[in-house]
Amino acid sequence: MRPRGAGAFAAAWVVTWLLAVLLAGAVGAQEPIRIGLQAPITGPWAYEGEMARNSVEIVKDQINARGGVLGRPIEIVLGDDQGNPRQSALVAQRMVAAGVVAVIGTYGSSINEAASTIYERAGVVNIAYGATAVQLTERGWRYFFRTCFRDDRQGAFFAQLVNEMLGASRVAILHDNTTFARGLAEAARASLAAEGLAELVFYDAVTPGERDFTPILSRMRARAPEVVYYTGYYPEAALIARQMRDLGIDALFVGGNAAINDEFVEIAGLEVASGALMTQEPLPTDLPYPEAQAFLEEYVRRHGQPPSSPWPVYAADALLVLAAAIEATGSTESEILAEFIRGPLAIQGITGPIAFDSRGDREGAIYLAYQVGPDGGLQPYEP
Amino acid sequence: MALFLEQLLNGLTVGSVYAVVALGYTMVYGVLRLINFAHGELFMLGAYLGFTLLVATGLGGALPLGLALLLLLLVVMGAVALLGLVIERVAYRPLRRANRLTAVVSALGVSIFLQNGAMLLWGPRYRAYPAWALPEVRWTVAGLHLSLMQVVILAVALVLMVGLYLLIQKTMLGTAIRATAIDHDTARLMGINVDRIIQFIFFIGPALGAAAGVLLGLYYRQVHFTMGWIYGLKAFTAAILGGIGNIPGAMIGGLLLGILEMLGAGYLSAAWKDAFVFMILILLLILRPTGLLGERVAEKV
Repeated sequence: MRPRGAGAFAAAWVVTWLLAVLLAGAVGAQEPIRIGLQAPITGPWAYEGEMARNSVEIVKDQINARGGVLGRPIEIVLGDDQGNPRQSALVAQRMVAAGVVAVIGTYGSSINEAASTIYERAGVVNIAYGATAVQLTERGWRYFFRTCFRDDRQGAFFAQLVNEMLGASRVAILHDNTTFARGLAEAARASLAAEGLAELVFYDAVTPGERDFTPILSRMRARAPEVVYYTGYYPEAALIARQMRDLGIDALFVGGNAAINDEFVEIAGLEVASGALMTQEPLPTDLPYPEAQAFLEEYVRRHGQPPSSPWPVYAADALLVLAAAIEATGSTESEILAEFIRGPLAIQGITGPIAFDSRGDREGAIYLAYQVGPDGGLQPYEP
Repeated sequence: MALFLEQLLNGLTVGSVYAVVALGYTMVYGVLRLINFAHGELFMLGAYLGFTLLVATGLGGALPLGLALLLLLLVVMGAVALLGLVIERVAYRPLRRANRLTAVVSALGVSIFLQNGAMLLWGPRYRAYPAWALPEVRWTVAGLHLSLMQVVILAVALVLMVGLYLLIQKTMLGTAIRATAIDHDTARLMGINVDRIIQFIFFIGPALGAAAGVLLGLYYRQVHFTMGWIYGLKAFTAAILGGIGNIPGAMIGGLLLGILEMLGAGYLSAAWKDAFVFMILILLLILRPTGLLGERVAEKV
């Protein structure tokens, strides 16, 4: 079994290699710079994956229209990780085997964890766009970066929201045991405890993919929370918000930054969703920069509506970072790129100024509280 | 106490959906010794078809709501039942004489086909049943929260289960099905058209699955093309719990599974719910390898 598999693999590799050489010879100096995009194109988060792909395509087309990078066009190699850690590892291996210069991706911290391990070992620069769990950059890795911000900052913002804007004293926190949701929940819990004003009366986890949360919510009801913070993703968030109402819990629902989008409103129903809050990076439509406006115009022209979550724009920014780094260093070597991105790189991205600290985290952080309005749209929250 | 009753009621609601789906698994297994892995996807298709019909027809404008929902349920059941017949003809009948494993692989293939087909047809996003489909009516009886939808689910599931039980136990057709389940060749000698019986099983099973899909869609208002997998798994577990091949077993297994889940989630931890349920399943299978009501062990050929 093993020798045959290895043989077939070697043969396939040689054929691919020959093809690549032939193709490269045919197009000559115009050989594209291949950058991977790993995103959940199918699976439960397919919606997010699709928007990330749309966003990256826009930036790619803009760069190529300007003549590409180092005179070479950029080509995006798409990898669908289905929002699944196992698939994510496979995609990462394929990306490495395909010899991409760098990878953008992916959405979901636990999905990212699986892939970034492989990229690190293979020495491929990878920039996550929707992976905010704290520990991802605590591993001291060289090739991992992210254009999105870390959860601990969001957790701190939640505590601030509760204490300063809502003035609530009984808080419940629910997460779904994924790397991201748990990290955010822990960060929020720690920040609440540090500020010492509001009491955490309930803290537990649900199972992702579950549809019935009434048992855990019934238990939560007994603790009479005023604010419920759910740090997981929108499919469960919507059902939790609705089932809370069904059970007669009238606490304020606050979602983390993956919990609320237009699908949340659709599934929860407008009457339940309106009034719900979420802690989030500014939405693309609320970004004040001219780059953001230009990007949004193009996005709306192509797809009819702006992206409904902040994540796809971070993917677009990741491509800008990579293009800037390749242009500035004149190299596609991972080592040189990683060195540059961690060090001197400073660009104006769609989501604002971008520079990285020594761990690979993006510097700065901006969060806002959003509220679902009476029409189902998100608007910045004003107490 | 109210909390306990509430968990019990929630468990019964979910459990009755599991039970109806489990019937499809258990009937096919009873007659063909085949685990029809595509059954969960038929359930999912039922949920999607119900969603599409609801949205497309606007429903209820002319008809009273109850009648409209009944009609919806029947149309979806019919459509998915026909699909079940097609699947039997295309994917299972040609393999009737083949190795049992071959048919299982074929079933898995159908399952993947249907799942991806649904994704292409309805898109990868979650779809939501319209909020007006069923009015949000809720009662609070002695601290116990109860919704109209729960009552509807319990009632419909009960009607389906009792109907099926009577059909199997009290009619000629049911006798023929039971005979076929015991031995194909002997049944044939008794003048039973075994192919017809198998077709009938593949008509009734998917119809039940589809009905459960519509009910679940109405209850949680959320449908997704991957939902067939987890509900299929749960229903399959319920069928095993009750003793696969045994129809009352599937019903009891489904209800029990739903209740165990809700109690596990309510009193232990929601995150450990599935672990708790499967631990009970393992314990039960160690003590009673044939499930709660299973008497016949599947003959190994």
